Amino acid sequence: MSSTQSLHSLAFRVMRLCRPTFHVETPLQFDPCDVVVGEDLFDGDSSSDAHRHLLRSQFASGDSSSSDLTYRNRFVLSDDSDAMGLPGLLVLPQSFGAIYLGETFCSYISINNSSNFDVRDIIIKSEIQTERQRIMLVDTSKTPVESIRAGGRYDFIVEHDVKELGAHTLVCTALYYDNDTERKYLPQYFKFMVANPLSVKTKVRVVQETTFLETCLENNTKSNLFMDQVEFEPAPRWSATILKADVHHSEKDGHTREIFKPPILIRAGGGIYNYLYSLKMSSAPTKVEGSNVLGKLQITWRTNLGEPGRLQTQQIIGNPFTRKEIDLKAVKVPSVIILERPFLVHLSLTNLTGKKLGPFRVWLALSDSKEEKTVVISGLQRMDLPAVEAFESLEFQLNLVCAKLGVQKITGITVYDTMEKNTHDPLPDLDIFVDSDL
Amino acid sequence: MSLSNPDAQTTNVDDQNLDSIKLYNDLCYDLSSLQELACRGAWRSILDKVSQARSRSLLSKPHEHLIYLSYNAIALTKLRRFNEAVAELDLVEKGLDIYRYETYPHHYPNRHGSMAPFVLRWLHAELPSRLGKRQETLDRFYVLLQFIKEKLSNNLGDESRKVWKKREALVINSIISHHLSHREFGVCLELMKELISRESTDRPVARAILMSKLGYIQMQFGDLEGARGSFGVIEGIVNEEKGESIEMMKNLVNRNKALMFMVEKDYASAVREYQECIDRDGSDVVAINNKALCLMYMRDLSDSIKVMENALERIPTIALKETFVVNLCSMYELAYVNHSDIKKTLSSWIARVAPDDFDTSCTRI
Repeated sequence: MSSTQSLHSLAFRVMRLCRPTFHVETPLQFDPCDVVVGEDLFDGDSSSDAHRHLLRSQFASGDSSSSDLTYRNRFVLSDDSDAMGLPGLLVLPQSFGAIYLGETFCSYISINNSSNFDVRDIIIKSEIQTERQRIMLVDTSKTPVESIRAGGRYDFIVEHDVKELGAHTLVCTALYYDNDTERKYLPQYFKFMVANPLSVKTKVRVVQETTFLETCLENNTKSNLFMDQVEFEPAPRWSATILKADVHHSEKDGHTREIFKPPILIRAGGGIYNYLYSLKMSSAPTKVEGSNVLGKLQITWRTNLGEPGRLQTQQIIGNPFTRKEIDLKAVKVPSVIILERPFLVHLSLTNLTGKKLGPFRVWLALSDSKEEKTVVISGLQRMDLPAVEAFESLEFQLNLVCAKLGVQKITGITVYDTMEKNTHDPLPDLDIFVDSDL
Repeated sequence: MSLSNPDAQTTNVDDQNLDSIKLYNDLCYDLSSLQELACRGAWRSILDKVSQARSRSLLSKPHEHLIYLSYNAIALTKLRRFNEAVAELDLVEKGLDIYRYETYPHHYPNRHGSMAPFVLRWLHAELPSRLGKRQETLDRFYVLLQFIKEKLSNNLGDESRKVWKKREALVINSIISHHLSHREFGVCLELMKELISRESTDRPVARAILMSKLGYIQMQFGDLEGARGSFGVIEGIVNEEKGESIEMMKNLVNRNKALMFMVEKDYASAVREYQECIDRDGSDVVAINNKALCLMYMRDLSDSIKVMENALERIPTIALKETFVVNLCSMYELAYVNHSDIKKTLSSWIARVAPDDFDTSCTRI
């Protein structure tokens, strides 16, 4: 609320009108049984009729009739839950507060005529100015306000969905005739900053056929944020399901579950909450390769009395999509493997494309780590495979041997296409258990 | 009748009142005057009275000292003299175990138990938060809750059990209020669950009020569906009930409906609900306050001010609450360029009418 300018009859008074809040305050109200008698008075046989009368009379005195001219209601507890200090009284916003992207800025604007004369023909304009644009909220140019009498008021309420970050200015102007014949111009400026309430970080992981999207929401505001809805809108060709932790059986209470939706609360000043979605391709992969748009997040949060805020993220990109040409699988691995005794692993290679591929060469690639491989090919270190027709499979066997006991990994079985001259991704690690001979 | 103040504004003295006065004075020396002063909000007078009673050795029995001490501690807390209140409660800090009837057999033959009023324990828990030590208060309240639960696990008589159950509810409510003021809604919901499950079905009004507060909490953090559900339970209770309790609950139902309208920004419907409340009960200050706010959100600042001022004039002792004044002053600041004049007028009126514990900082002068 800015100060008046003494030359003007008119002045703007502005008050941010976000929703009111419930007043909460631990009251200093007491039950007479807790004040005028010892706490154990009602134990055992020492209770007398008089004391029980006291009990009953204090219950009866719970009504506050208008003929009761005392401030009894500030001292005596009438209902048990009065002690909660939540009478249901609403309070007007007491300060401007912080404004965040995605909220709706709402303000009461009152133009006061504090002079002794009427003012006439008032053209009122109110707009929001940001770095990028000016948005007109109110403009009475076409139908000017006829007059505001001395001591009178003209009020309006403006609303604006905040979609930009940074400095904003609410500009209020009035063009009017006062007692002099010249036209007066009153501009007033109210500045505020808009900050980003949430940071969204995403991680994409692909496990076998499913893409998992992990999103982390971080609360940058000064108050706790309650997430009303966080929905992932998948791009075409994708479908998404949200994954939630199972509820412990002791928390499943049929009666209260309808009423108590556990709030998803993200703490002020850096609290986080994670969401996990599993995404599946809903239709067969096309020939398009390259960057992979998964979709975007629509986030709705609420603050007091349901005041909503809404944001959506930019498109979330998944891992670049490359079509697999071949599928390499382990078909059979022996259940008993003895130390230093060769064993056969049966594998199959499937040609996923529509044209003949190969011939191929198979070997066990050297590992990246400095550790020596414990499982190696027994015999020739390279195997040659013939070409495979379109959509056909070829089965082959590798003769392997392991030099170490216990749980070991078969890693790095790699297939190389000798025609196309490209190396395919190796077979994912296989775990085996190597037993001793004894 | 031993009322110390001849111009006391008491209601008509009927038999029940006479009984109450005698009952109070039998319990403790001149207790009815203390209670009278407390109900009039004359806390400074209470401090004087206690001080006099002490200096002139007017109290003969140990329990009387404790009761006077309780009023003193309450008065100091009400007057926001928190450090002095803490000093007064030093004996709670040291342990209330010695204040038992058995310790003074010549005063209390054949009596057993603690003679300390329960309010001492409650104040001892509450005061640290008033001095900025919120965690200390929460710790003490949880310990107090445990103390009460242990007491309830003993074999108590019916009256005694009733009283201690009430105290248990009181402490749970106090704990909720502290978590609420810090917007720790998850904890509040858990505690509300407990309170609601304890509430017996033969107390429909109490249950309805509790469900309303659950609704308010849910609205505070934005769970509108939950709030709607909670309010719906109350309508169910009202439909089943008959008799006097219905009237009180009708206003509750209207107020809850009004809140749901407000959430949807349908302020006109909210005003209509609140008006029904006021027509039914002209002293429903929650309805009056909230109606005024709705008028403001409907761009009718002038009428909102009128509603507030009218209430202060018509029902001053009920409407004169700090929150009410805060709202009215916010309206003044918006409505008047030179609002300090009108606020000063309000302030002088408050000074004449308000009780000692009224927090005048709410006028923001």
